[in-house]
Amino acid sequence: MAQVVIMPRQGQSVESCVITEWKKKVGDKVEEKDVLFSYETDKSSFDELSTVSGTLLAIFHEEGDDVECLLPVCVIGNEGEDISALVPKKEEAAAPAPEAPKEEVKTEEKAPAPEAAATGSAVSTEGRIKISPRARHLAERTDADISRAVPTGPNGRIIERDINTLLDKGWTNADKPVEVAPAAAPAAAAAPALEEYTDVKLPNIRKVIAKSMHASLSNMAQLTLNSSFDATAIMAFRAQVKDNAEKLGLNNITINDIVLYAVSRTILSFKDLNAHYLDDKDVMRYFNTVNLGIAVDTERGLLVPTVFGAEKMSLNELSSEAKSVIKAAQSGSIAPDKLKGASFTVTNLGAMGIESFTPVINPPQTGILGVDAVTYRVKPDGSTYPAMGLSLTFDHRALDGAPAAKFLKALCDNLTNFNLLLAK
Amino acid sequence: MPKSQYVDPSKAFDSGYIHFEDIPVCQYNKTLTEEKKIYTKADFLRIYRDMAIIREFETMLNEVKVKSEYNGVKYNNPGPAHLSIGQEASAVGEAYCLDINDFSFGSHRSHGEILAKGLSSIEKLNDEELYAIMKEFLDGTVLNVVEKHMNAGGNVKELAINFLLYGALAEIFARKTGFNRGLGGSMHAFFIPFGLMPNNAIVGASAPIALGAALYKRSNGKPGIVISNCGDGATGRGPVLESLNFASMDQITKLWGMDGKYSDGGMPILFNVFNNHYGMGGQTRGETMGFDMVARLGAGFNPSQMHAERVNGYDPLAVIDAVSRKKKLLLEGKGPALLDVVTYRVSGHSPSDSSTYRTQEEIEAWKNADPIVAFKNKLIKGKLATENDFAVMHEQITARMTEIMKLAINDEISPRMDLNKEPDAIASIMFSNQKVVSMEPERKPEMLMPKEECPRVKEIKGKVRTATDKDGKPVSKMKMYNVCDGLFEPIIDKFYDDPTLIAYGEDNRDWGGAFGVYKKMTEAVPYHRFFNSPISESAIVGSAVGYAMCGGRAIVELMYADFIGCAGDEIFNQMAKWQAMSAGILKMPIVLRVSVGSKYGAQHSQDWTAITSHIPGLKVVFPVTPTDAKGLMTSALDGTDPVVFFESQRVYGFGEEFVKEGVPEGKFSIEFGEPDIKRAGKDVTILTIGATLYRAMNAAKTLEEKYGISAEIIDARSLVPFNYDKVIESVKKTGKIVIVGDACERASMMKDMAANITEFCFDYLDAPPVALGSRNWITPAFELEKSFFPFEDAIIDCIHEKLIPLNGHVPTHNFSDIEKVERAKKGL
Repeated sequence: MAQVVIMPRQGQSVESCVITEWKKKVGDKVEEKDVLFSYETDKSSFDELSTVSGTLLAIFHEEGDDVECLLPVCVIGNEGEDISALVPKKEEAAAPAPEAPKEEVKTEEKAPAPEAAATGSAVSTEGRIKISPRARHLAERTDADISRAVPTGPNGRIIERDINTLLDKGWTNADKPVEVAPAAAPAAAAAPALEEYTDVKLPNIRKVIAKSMHASLSNMAQLTLNSSFDATAIMAFRAQVKDNAEKLGLNNITINDIVLYAVSRTILSFKDLNAHYLDDKDVMRYFNTVNLGIAVDTERGLLVPTVFGAEKMSLNELSSEAKSVIKAAQSGSIAPDKLKGASFTVTNLGAMGIESFTPVINPPQTGILGVDAVTYRVKPDGSTYPAMGLSLTFDHRALDGAPAAKFLKALCDNLTNFNLLLAK
Repeated sequence: MPKSQYVDPSKAFDSGYIHFEDIPVCQYNKTLTEEKKIYTKADFLRIYRDMAIIREFETMLNEVKVKSEYNGVKYNNPGPAHLSIGQEASAVGEAYCLDINDFSFGSHRSHGEILAKGLSSIEKLNDEELYAIMKEFLDGTVLNVVEKHMNAGGNVKELAINFLLYGALAEIFARKTGFNRGLGGSMHAFFIPFGLMPNNAIVGASAPIALGAALYKRSNGKPGIVISNCGDGATGRGPVLESLNFASMDQITKLWGMDGKYSDGGMPILFNVFNNHYGMGGQTRGETMGFDMVARLGAGFNPSQMHAERVNGYDPLAVIDAVSRKKKLLLEGKGPALLDVVTYRVSGHSPSDSSTYRTQEEIEAWKNADPIVAFKNKLIKGKLATENDFAVMHEQITARMTEIMKLAINDEISPRMDLNKEPDAIASIMFSNQKVVSMEPERKPEMLMPKEECPRVKEIKGKVRTATDKDGKPVSKMKMYNVCDGLFEPIIDKFYDDPTLIAYGEDNRDWGGAFGVYKKMTEAVPYHRFFNSPISESAIVGSAVGYAMCGGRAIVELMYADFIGCAGDEIFNQMAKWQAMSAGILKMPIVLRVSVGSKYGAQHSQDWTAITSHIPGLKVVFPVTPTDAKGLMTSALDGTDPVVFFESQRVYGFGEEFVKEGVPEGKFSIEFGEPDIKRAGKDVTILTIGATLYRAMNAAKTLEEKYGISAEIIDARSLVPFNYDKVIESVKKTGKIVIVGDACERASMMKDMAANITEFCFDYLDAPPVALGSRNWITPAFELEKSFFPFEDAIIDCIHEKLIPLNGHVPTHNFSDIEKVERAKKGL
């Protein structure tokens, strides 16, 4: 019997996904686990693997189509099979998933646990996940990732078969897909060079970044303080580490790692900046740990992976963790929970010679530190020293200028006397 | 409707008159001199003593009620005390004529009746018999108290009087040492070894029960007569009138003899009305009734006018005279009889009675006519005793009563049941749970032919015991062993096994039961064991209760389950409760067959399993396959508990579809309480009650074929008791369950089971258990019933909407929560 492949729901808030590329075309033979098509949500990209073998009999949506979750995308079956009953009617394909079960969309994935149309989100208005006791127990036993379950029970309840569907797909908590969080973007992100002009449809990730940045700037009271410090000590330190790295088994500790380290040791004294400003709740959430977001430029756009508990790490540990998350972000293999949860973010455009900029805060954080390029300045005695610029954007709703300036000054002092900081 | 009695149109319209005989009204006029030829001095004095004991006993209860003190002993009795002060001569006069083979059933004002019958029995039994009875009763519990704490001077009869008074009083005060362990109480004290049968707190309820006792004596050739006592107020009650008629029905004398083969005697029962002029406060003569005198009723029931008579109940000798004449008639097979014993209740209906309905003048006048004082004066005048003799007697009685009361209120000697220490004390007597093949194994059952020759038995022998033949083709209706046969087999077997088994109901005999279960049984079972009853549901069920109380086994039928309402008290208060109210002394082997109809509208199609299951003390089963019908009927008939046996008119003609080997031959029983998995499955459980099994099977087929859902179907078979193990196991597997039955959904057994399963299986549930019953409407006409009863489509919709949405299914029923809340709001 022919199987309908539906657009999976990647997480509870996802309503539709864009097909980015068909890897098979109608008439192609398909083996189990072959990639059928790639698609992306507003946060991530995925490949849809076939769960059956057969022939791709029909495709209902083309590349670039934005397809409602759970609607049929294609049909795999035996050559010559009659699939007329499985072809969605026009309205069905276009309409959003209906609320009432009686208007269910015909979607069959795998008898006897068909992935019936969802009847709504499993999350109620009170924020509780609606899940049957049986399904919950099964999920707990099997570590299935409830957040990706498509509720097919009455009243939008996750029931046993929904967990079984997760397990069939291998969707456990230990195996979350890459999820891309909208991140702080430098305001100076390069504009594309124009030759005449070409209209390019914005990729989802771009749309999300756009929305998020605009929201950040329009909803917050952001302003940026600039300062600089004498980088002699950290540059010397870095050179020293570099010379001895192999011998001592140390990482290639970068200037950025050093700045991260200094931030992690300084910011706990300035709790307003290591915090979330929860506007809707009138609450400031102060973090007792430093979860550092690191803005990373990737092929798809900006990602901000997080180093959790940075204040507890040695410089060397922090360096390797930062490298690891940056690499994962760039390769697209980062776990989604590492793309959120930061309490403060550091972004670095210094390598590109930027001397000063206004970083944009990733809400609900209250601040972001931009690391600028090193320039040489003249001391009163006429000698020069390497000065590294720091640009701190903060949310004036959460804190005032003086405490923000105090933090920046403390940070500069710590970096200027980095050896002393290390000794602490 | 026996064919032997021709209904002749040429005679039906003959003209003429109905003639009545004169009904004697207080015709007794013997002098003491005449009576001295009958009674010895000791007899006279004993009659007086018995009246005086009763008076003192009730005076004590009254004092305790109104003053919380008797003779200086303080006590508070919160329970009822319906006294009969003034009625002692009636009670003693009646009991004087009775021995322990004569069973007396009391009214709800029965202390006097109990004591009178007890004292009379003590007098008639010899010392050995008497002592043995007391020793054996409740393992000597009552005897031990009076033997240890009271001095009877080595006189067994005196000891027995202490025993009687103490056992009754301890019962009234709800003590564990009472005659029924304190579970019966004031209005239900009784002592069977003295022929002193249960009394009843429901006015008039003793009449059908006493009728059943008479039926037991009549059908089993047992000695003695039965007295059905009630007050004049009770004659307004249907069950009393039904019983007067049932006892008088023609067939007993005209058909039961079967041409000299068996007795053609009438029903040995005396309906004795203690006519105290009031039903609570309603004055029967002049206000609430129209008979003028109760005795007139006799003329309405049979040509012998029930030998009705009105007697002076204030004269014990007049009562003795009348009762002994009636007893003689009854023993001669001329029953039933009716006595209107005129008396007066000087005490109130209960201590809360302020006598607003009568004048002080009236009460005073009756006090002045006090039967005890009058009898004393008569004896003094007749020189049978002196004033001093009576004074001494009274002193002794008061001393004895005080002593008895002190014992009965002593918490150490007469403790109450301790339900903290023995939490199962009452639970353990709700059912007797015995298996007794024959209630009287030593006697040979009276039958008209050997079992093998019984035409129906022969017919069944030739039937195919499965619904389909070897090739899977349906067996023809005529040849197929069906549910009716499954019911018939154990019943006919029991007729040959248990000589006490008796079956009756409306249209049971020649018609074969309205639905053919008893077809061709008439040929094999004599009338006195199997007959058509009048259309008197109260009398049908109530008499079965009396029949069972006496040691017989009865299977009675109400045709439609809807008629349960007509026998409400008998089913809910009598049949259900007597085992426990007697502290397990009584057994109640009754099978009450009721049939759930279809096609017959609002008053002939109801499944009332919920109503009967709600009442503690009843077992309730509902088989719908031939095998289950046979197995459960066998268990019901072997048991000693009252069973409401539901049947379905939808499936009487169904063959065996589930047991491959067919309905088992020979004796075959199924334990009560065990549900049966009729279809194995893994995705969803459907628990069915009654005939919905077949609709669920169809639904399961559709679920499997169309939606790839595998349904497990469990047939509840029993409702009380019910073993949830199999259901729990199934729900652990499937996580989903719908419970289906034909009863209206609100407060149904489906709801009850759903609630229980939610508790038992919560952690395994994938959806809340759902009850699916009929709508909370009247049952509409057959053509509309698909909108009312749960059919296949509703079962599937229910599963789709409440348990697991089915791919592509378009439901036609609305089972949404919003809809259900709305319906509840409207009472629908």
